[in-house]
Amino acid sequence: MNKNLNSVVISMRRILFTMLLALLIGAVCILCIKQNPLEAYAALVRGAFNGKLRIGNTLASFTPLLLTSCAFVIAAKAGAFNVGVEGEVFLGGIAAAYIGINWTFLPAPLLMAACFAGAMLVGALWAFIPGALKAYFNVSEVCVTILMNSVAVYITSYLVNGPMSAGVANSQSKPVNVTLPQFMIPSSANVGLFIAVAVVVFVIFMLYRMRFGYKIRVVGTNPQFAEYAGINPKKVFIQSMMVSGAIGGLAGCIEILGVHGYFLDNFAYNLGTNGMLAALIVKSNIVFTPVVAFFLAILHSGAMGMQQATGVPKSIVDTISAIFIIFATMETLFQPKAGHVLKFFTSKRTSKREAVK
Amino acid sequence: MQNIVKTFDTVQAVKNGMFHLRKGEIHSLIGENGAGKSTMMKLLYGVYPVDGGTVTVNGEELHDITPKLAIRKGIGMVHQEFMLVKQLTVLENIILGFEPLKGLTIDFGKARENVQHYIDQYGMDVQLDKKINEISVGEAQRVEIIKTLTRGADIIILDEPTAVLTPQESKRLFQILNNMRSAGKSIVFISHKLNEIMEISDRITVMRQGAYVGTVEKTATSEGELAKMMIGREVFLNIEKESVEVGNTVLQVKNLWTSGEKEISKVRGISFDVKQGEIVGVAGIDGNGQSELIEAITGLRKVERGNVILGGTDITNMSPGKIRKNGMTHIPEDRNIRGLNRNMSITENLVSTLINEKTFCKHMILDTSASSARAQELAETFDIRPRDTSASTANLSGGNAQKVVVAREVSNSSKLLVASQPTRGVDIGAIESIRSILVSQKKKGIGVLLVSADLEEILSLSDRIIVMHEGKIVGSMQASQANEENLGLLMMGGSDAAGKRG
Amino acid sequence: MNWETIFNTSLVYATFRSATPIIYAALCAAITQKADILNIGTEGIMLTGAFFAVAVSFLTHSWILGVVVAMAAGLVISMIMAVGHIRFKADICAIGMGINLFAIAITKFLLNSVLGKRGTFSDPGIVPIPRVHIKAFDSIAVLNTLFNNWAVTEWLVIVLIIVIWFVFYKTKWGLHLRAVGQFPMAAQTAGINVTAIKYEAIAISGLIGGLAGAHLSLGYSALFTENMTNSRGFMGVAAMFFGNADPVWTSVGCLVFGFADSVGNRLQAHGWPSQIVLLMPYAVTIAVLAVSMASKIYADRRKKSSLLSAAA
Repeated sequence: MNKNLNSVVISMRRILFTMLLALLIGAVCILCIKQNPLEAYAALVRGAFNGKLRIGNTLASFTPLLLTSCAFVIAAKAGAFNVGVEGEVFLGGIAAAYIGINWTFLPAPLLMAACFAGAMLVGALWAFIPGALKAYFNVSEVCVTILMNSVAVYITSYLVNGPMSAGVANSQSKPVNVTLPQFMIPSSANVGLFIAVAVVVFVIFMLYRMRFGYKIRVVGTNPQFAEYAGINPKKVFIQSMMVSGAIGGLAGCIEILGVHGYFLDNFAYNLGTNGMLAALIVKSNIVFTPVVAFFLAILHSGAMGMQQATGVPKSIVDTISAIFIIFATMETLFQPKAGHVLKFFTSKRTSKREAVK
Repeated sequence: MQNIVKTFDTVQAVKNGMFHLRKGEIHSLIGENGAGKSTMMKLLYGVYPVDGGTVTVNGEELHDITPKLAIRKGIGMVHQEFMLVKQLTVLENIILGFEPLKGLTIDFGKARENVQHYIDQYGMDVQLDKKINEISVGEAQRVEIIKTLTRGADIIILDEPTAVLTPQESKRLFQILNNMRSAGKSIVFISHKLNEIMEISDRITVMRQGAYVGTVEKTATSEGELAKMMIGREVFLNIEKESVEVGNTVLQVKNLWTSGEKEISKVRGISFDVKQGEIVGVAGIDGNGQSELIEAITGLRKVERGNVILGGTDITNMSPGKIRKNGMTHIPEDRNIRGLNRNMSITENLVSTLINEKTFCKHMILDTSASSARAQELAETFDIRPRDTSASTANLSGGNAQKVVVAREVSNSSKLLVASQPTRGVDIGAIESIRSILVSQKKKGIGVLLVSADLEEILSLSDRIIVMHEGKIVGSMQASQANEENLGLLMMGGSDAAGKRG
Repeated sequence: MNWETIFNTSLVYATFRSATPIIYAALCAAITQKADILNIGTEGIMLTGAFFAVAVSFLTHSWILGVVVAMAAGLVISMIMAVGHIRFKADICAIGMGINLFAIAITKFLLNSVLGKRGTFSDPGIVPIPRVHIKAFDSIAVLNTLFNNWAVTEWLVIVLIIVIWFVFYKTKWGLHLRAVGQFPMAAQTAGINVTAIKYEAIAISGLIGGLAGAHLSLGYSALFTENMTNSRGFMGVAAMFFGNADPVWTSVGCLVFGFADSVGNRLQAHGWPSQIVLLMPYAVTIAVLAVSMASKIYADRRKKSSLLSAAA
């Protein structure tokens, strides 16, 4: 137990240092454009937390990130790199919008349930394609999902500008007939936050306490062993991709029903990508992922406020996040070795895993 | 090499290593699995950096050895796992790193000339234009030896070279080694096969548990003495073969055809059976279809023609999970990839095949206490170290890792136990216990199918032996009629042209 | 619908034109792939190159300098990836994606703060890559449509394909590269410095990726748009899979994309909705990738089958 705690502390410390390093480099960039980084960062935090409106919006930002990062992690646990969460959010949103607009023959609670179910189903089916292609034909799911994201965005854009258009100048659809209750009005915070939290808690439970989660983890770490032990690695891989897609679709549904009330063209821009970012930073550790997702939500929520207050452009936030992830993926950076803390250079001792091939 | 120390993470592979090589001798380095002999030589060749001690070659002390430096100083090594790139040709592999150039391009003509010179001088038969994945194991080994010679090696290290050869091929190798010794080369011969050591060596150095034990002249020692030095105590590896009542047929393989990685490993029409209470040993050079045969029987490879019948049920092409349910358990030849999930704990590995059982999983939720309890039980019974079953399997020694696999497979009820290379890379203590476990299974009335590249193991454990060559069965006999000679001959395809066939 | 306005001689050049940036990207990915390193960051390298090419061309009024700096920028970006992956053991897909996101962010940031522009940057001061005008072709209609007025970098890409093919299969470095990619331990015990080869491969990849970006932004319309590459880098990677990292086959794959793109543009002129047309290249790439991987698996399965009669 002691060893586990030790490794947790080491991981947390590493993430913290990486975060500080990213913020430091961001500060240098800000200095280069002749602005004051401390003021900028302060404005950032204020932009995220100053007042009910801002806090509400931060929470509203956090909701989809929580789900998209979770979606990425589930796929990752089975060994899949699902960049396609972005597309699944869009398609889930359009499915929810379609059902929400047109299936008015259903009473309100059933209509809501149908929206959710439809969004999750569409997301799952969309993710099935790259999942099956990888499982059966060894096609790189990284490539396919990225390409499919573009396809998804174009499909929804076509639909919202064409058949589903509301006929107004803004690219949006007709309003949906059910919405999620909001709180902290006039911010966009809504009940979807609680749904998201519940989903994430369930996913954690599923991964470590349920048989399906165990199968996912076995397949993700050693698919040949899984096959030998009686677990079908292809099936489990595809199933976890589908669950990932479903959660992505769910995020889209919540955005449509809880934040906008109609389908807005390009509403989900970068939601999937930022969720993936959060997950990659913590190497798909499901417990830390929501924490980093929250940090990213703060960054993005506060960015507008920072830009307005200080003139530092919003794109600095994307830069800091990207730098954060680049350093965070470097496993042996900031790893303590043999009593030395913060030893940058790996020691001369070779690792047995490299040796034993 | 003096006072050598080498540590990997927390494991000290070499505590106090010493090795003195004279010019023009064949000096064997022996010890059981995990003794550190392979590591010692890899340090000399620069595969790993040395942690402590000195290495002196021809009077010159060497520091920060890399393979490039070692080669420059005249050291060459033939590794246990051949360092040959499969998709490249023999010629490309031989010249790799030392390509003759013509302007900007590689001068293949000159390369060919150089290599041919060595082929002729030492009488080695290799085909320069074939890809590595098209040639036999014996030929591949000769390619490795030529590599060392073309780079000007005077000190040549061979790491367990006879592990992949038949007795006849080994004799041929010894001829080549004697030729090289006469030409003034110095040879280090790493092995744990005492009979061969006694035949080929001039001097012998023994290592045990990472430390130097002693050096003796071949003429001044015997196999028994060497064994005692290697292990530190008397060892009885020969198990009393008890005959047991043989019962009904438990496995029937009928005209089995299955795909293969190489042409000679494709199984084409194999039929045999295994009865309750008997151990059937499959002998053969690694790579002649044994792996494919086992995979086909256990559901890990598609059966293209033929049937596999287990206890009356046709299990051909059933999923591995279903085959297990029908009563087959399997100790796979590759414990690191197939047999275990090294990223997970001992408990999770022990319970993995039973995860659908109600005892370990109620309503899709895992019962972790039941799993832990069962794992504890198995660790006690099978002497798995460390006893803490929540520990990861990542750092287990070869012997303990294999014990986890054996514990899991043997503790589940079965009609047939398939054991593939069960004692490969395992220390003496674990070898003893695993072999006696196999025999006790037989006594319980379970049928055992044993595949092993170790002829000694096949001879000592089996009741019946079948020999495979190029994907077919070329011989089958009672163990009482078998010996190393006739088995070795069959393993080569029945022809004694060891040189030509490879 | 008038098929002749779509399928005519100019479609051949249009295909090649569309394909060229993808070919550069694919070659960028192929070099590292031979060393068994999947360069997911190709997209980011290309985008960075595109930005710096335009920015430097604008500031110095020299397209050559623009291209050179673009290649240097590509090198820097790829080296970050190299150090992260080789020295600090970052997962190549993770750091690759990080590089891609970083490229989008930093190019947008530099565009906003240094050049003071938003969205698209277009200015007469940006000097594009010149076109090669062959007077002799002016009079021959077919040759004129097909081969005249090619940008310098379009001629260069053909040279590059040949050079890379030569390097892979005929030179010592190429042999070492392939050995490292297929069995690094064998290369190491042959005395080859595996780490050095990997760094070299990624460095060269970075240079070519930067060149890819320069061609994209300075090669046709001499402008820079945010996220200009728009997944073209990934199409290059997909083409690389299709061609198994062989320069010639990979380029064939890129031509398929180029074809879909060009046909799509013409269909748009015929009234097809823009989004449907825009998604065609992506859908085609996915389909081609799926088919090529599937056929590889089937071919492999057939080769290993015992039912295949053995060659005498």
